[in-house]
Amino acid sequence: MLKSTYQQSLLRSNLFVVWNELVKNIKSLLAYPAILVFWAVFPIFWFIPFILQGQAFVGGPESASFAQITGSGEYVPFIVIGAVLNSYVNTLLYGMGENIRREAYQGTLDYVLAAPCNKAYVLIGKALSESLSSTIFAASQLTISVLLFGMNLTLGVMLPVFFIVILLMLGLYGMSLILAAFSLMYKQSYDLSQTIGYVFYIFAPVRYPVESLPTWAQIFGKLIPLTYALIIVRSFMLLGTDFSAVYFEVIALLIIDIVLLVAGFYLFSWMEEKTKKSGTISHH
Amino acid sequence: MVYDKESGVFSIQTIDLTKRFAKKKHRGVFGFLRRNQSNNKHNDVTVALDKVNLEIRPGELFGLLGPNGSGKTTTIKCLSTILIPDEGTVTVNGFDIQKETSMVRASLGMVVGGERTLYWKLTARDNLMYFASLYKMQRTHAKKRIEELLETLQLSDRADERLEDYSTGMRQKVAIARALLHDPPILLLDEPTLGLDPNFSRQIRNQIRELSEKQGKTVLLTTHYMDEADQLCDRVAFINNGKIVAVDTPNRLKAMVKEKELVEVTVYRPPADIEKYIRSLLPDAEVVKLIPGDEDEGNPSRIKIIGGTAEEHVETIIDALRQKNIRIGSLNVGVPTLEDVFIKLTGAKLTEDGT
Repeated sequence: MLKSTYQQSLLRSNLFVVWNELVKNIKSLLAYPAILVFWAVFPIFWFIPFILQGQAFVGGPESASFAQITGSGEYVPFIVIGAVLNSYVNTLLYGMGENIRREAYQGTLDYVLAAPCNKAYVLIGKALSESLSSTIFAASQLTISVLLFGMNLTLGVMLPVFFIVILLMLGLYGMSLILAAFSLMYKQSYDLSQTIGYVFYIFAPVRYPVESLPTWAQIFGKLIPLTYALIIVRSFMLLGTDFSAVYFEVIALLIIDIVLLVAGFYLFSWMEEKTKKSGTISHH
Repeated sequence: MVYDKESGVFSIQTIDLTKRFAKKKHRGVFGFLRRNQSNNKHNDVTVALDKVNLEIRPGELFGLLGPNGSGKTTTIKCLSTILIPDEGTVTVNGFDIQKETSMVRASLGMVVGGERTLYWKLTARDNLMYFASLYKMQRTHAKKRIEELLETLQLSDRADERLEDYSTGMRQKVAIARALLHDPPILLLDEPTLGLDPNFSRQIRNQIRELSEKQGKTVLLTTHYMDEADQLCDRVAFINNGKIVAVDTPNRLKAMVKEKELVEVTVYRPPADIEKYIRSLLPDAEVVKLIPGDEDEGNPSRIKIIGGTAEEHVETIIDALRQKNIRIGSLNVGVPTLEDVFIKLTGAKLTEDGT
C-alpha cells in the first residue's frame, strides 16, 4: 500500500533507484558480449593509422616541431590520450539519447514515467552505467595502447587523470541530457549526437594541438568540455605538471559542467512536460 | 493522504476529462515550403476524450469498453499521469492527477501495452526488482514481495531466466506482478488477456477476480472480449469517439436489448451495400449491422439484426442472400450480448474482429 511505498528514507530510496538503473543497464549490456569486445578493442584500429602516418611524416616516434607547440615531442601518447578521452564522447553522447529512445520503443518508458520516483535519479543511473561502460572501454583501449606503444602510466598520474575524466563526464552528462530531451521530442538523437561528436573531433584538440586551429576555431573550441579535459590530462601525463599549472582549465571545465547539467535537467523536464501534453511521449 | 473508505472518496473520478491531439499531416519531402491551407484550427485537432465523466467506487471492478481508437488507452494514460489532460478534473484515490502526481502514481498499478513493456534481456526477478526501486520500496521488503508474487503467479521455477525465453502468457504474468509489486489500491488493466491462449486467459481472469473480491482492489479494465467484461465487471462504460455513451451493470445494459430478438448470420464476401439492402427488407428491425471479417484468417463477416420477429427475419434474410448469391456460413437466433448493446447505442461495432 501507499504506506510501505514511502517507508524508507528519501536518500536511500533515491540511491536504490540509481543502483537498480545501473544494474539494469549493465546486465542488458552484458547480454550482448560482441558489443563489449567491439568497444573495448576496435576503437584502437581507428587511431593506429594516424600514428603510422605521423611516423611516416617525421621518421620516428618524436617530432621537434611538435615539441615546440606542445612541450613534448612524443606525438604517439598525445594521439592515444586524445582517442581514449574522445571515446567517452562517443559512448556518453550516443548512449543516453539512444537509451531513452530504446525505452520508448520497448514500451518501458511509460512505466518509468508513471512511477513515483524522481526521474532525475533514473537519468543519473543511466549516466552512471554509460560512464562505467565507457571507463571500462577506455581502460581496455589504454592498456592495449600501453602494450603496443610502450606508454608509461603510474598510479600517481592516473588518480588526478581520473578526477578530470569525472569532470569531463559531468559535462557530457549535461549534453547527453540535452540529447535525451531531443530524443523525447523528436524520437531520435543519433544524427545530432554524431554531428556533435564530429564538431568535438574538429574543434577540440583530439588529434592535433589546439594551436593548430585558426584563432576563431580556438575560441569556439574553448566552449567544449573535451578541450579542457584534453589539455589538463596531457599536461599531467606528458608534461608531468600538477593542478597548479592547469587551475584555469579545471575551473573552466567545472563552470561548463554546471551550465550543461543545469541546462540538461531543465530541458529534459520541459520536453517531458511538453510531450505529455502533446501525447507524443510514448511514440518512438 | 491515504484512502479512507468512510470518507466516500471515489477511487477514480473524472469530471469533463478532455484530451485533444494535433493531427500529423504528411505533406511530402518539401511540405514545409507549402503554406498551411487550413483556416480552421479545429480541423487540425483530434478530440481523443470529450468531457469524459466516470465515477469508480473503491473495490469495484469496472470495465471500459470501446472499439480501437475510442479513447480507452488515452483514458488510462491520463489516469496514470503519462498524459496531461487539456481540460477537466481527475482524481485517483482522492489525489488530483496534476497537483499530487507522486501520490497518484503510488496509488496505481498498471498493465498497459502487454508483454513488450518489460526488459526481455533481464530475468523476471531482475525486472521486478528494478520496478520495485522505481516505486521506492525497501530492498528487503521488495525481495519478500517479489518472492510472494512469483509464487502466487506460479513463476518461481523460472524466475531467474531471461524473459526472452518466456511464453507470451508468462511475460503477461510478470507484467501483472509488476503492477502488484507495491500493493496499490487501484489497478489499471488495459487488455490484460489480449493474445493469450485460453488457459493463460483463464488464469489471468481468475487472478483479476481474486484481486477485486478477496483483496478489495479497485480495477479499471479495458477489454475487447465481451464475455470477459460480462463475467468479470461489476459495471461497464461504453466509450465511442472519446465520449462515454452508457454506464451501468452488464445485466442492466443487456436488458436494453433483452426483449429484442437477435439474428446473426455469417456470410462470405458480402457486397458493400448488403447492409442497406437487408435494412430495406426488414423495416421493423432496430439494428442491421454488417461486421466485416477477415476470411483469410478464417473469420467471415457477420450481419447482426436486432429487433422485430426473428422467425420472419430468418426467411427474408436467407432469400435475400440467395438472390445475391452470397454464401452463408451459419445462422443463429440468440440472446443479445454487450456487443449488441454497443451496436444499438452507437451504430458502431465494438471490436476489430467482431469477437
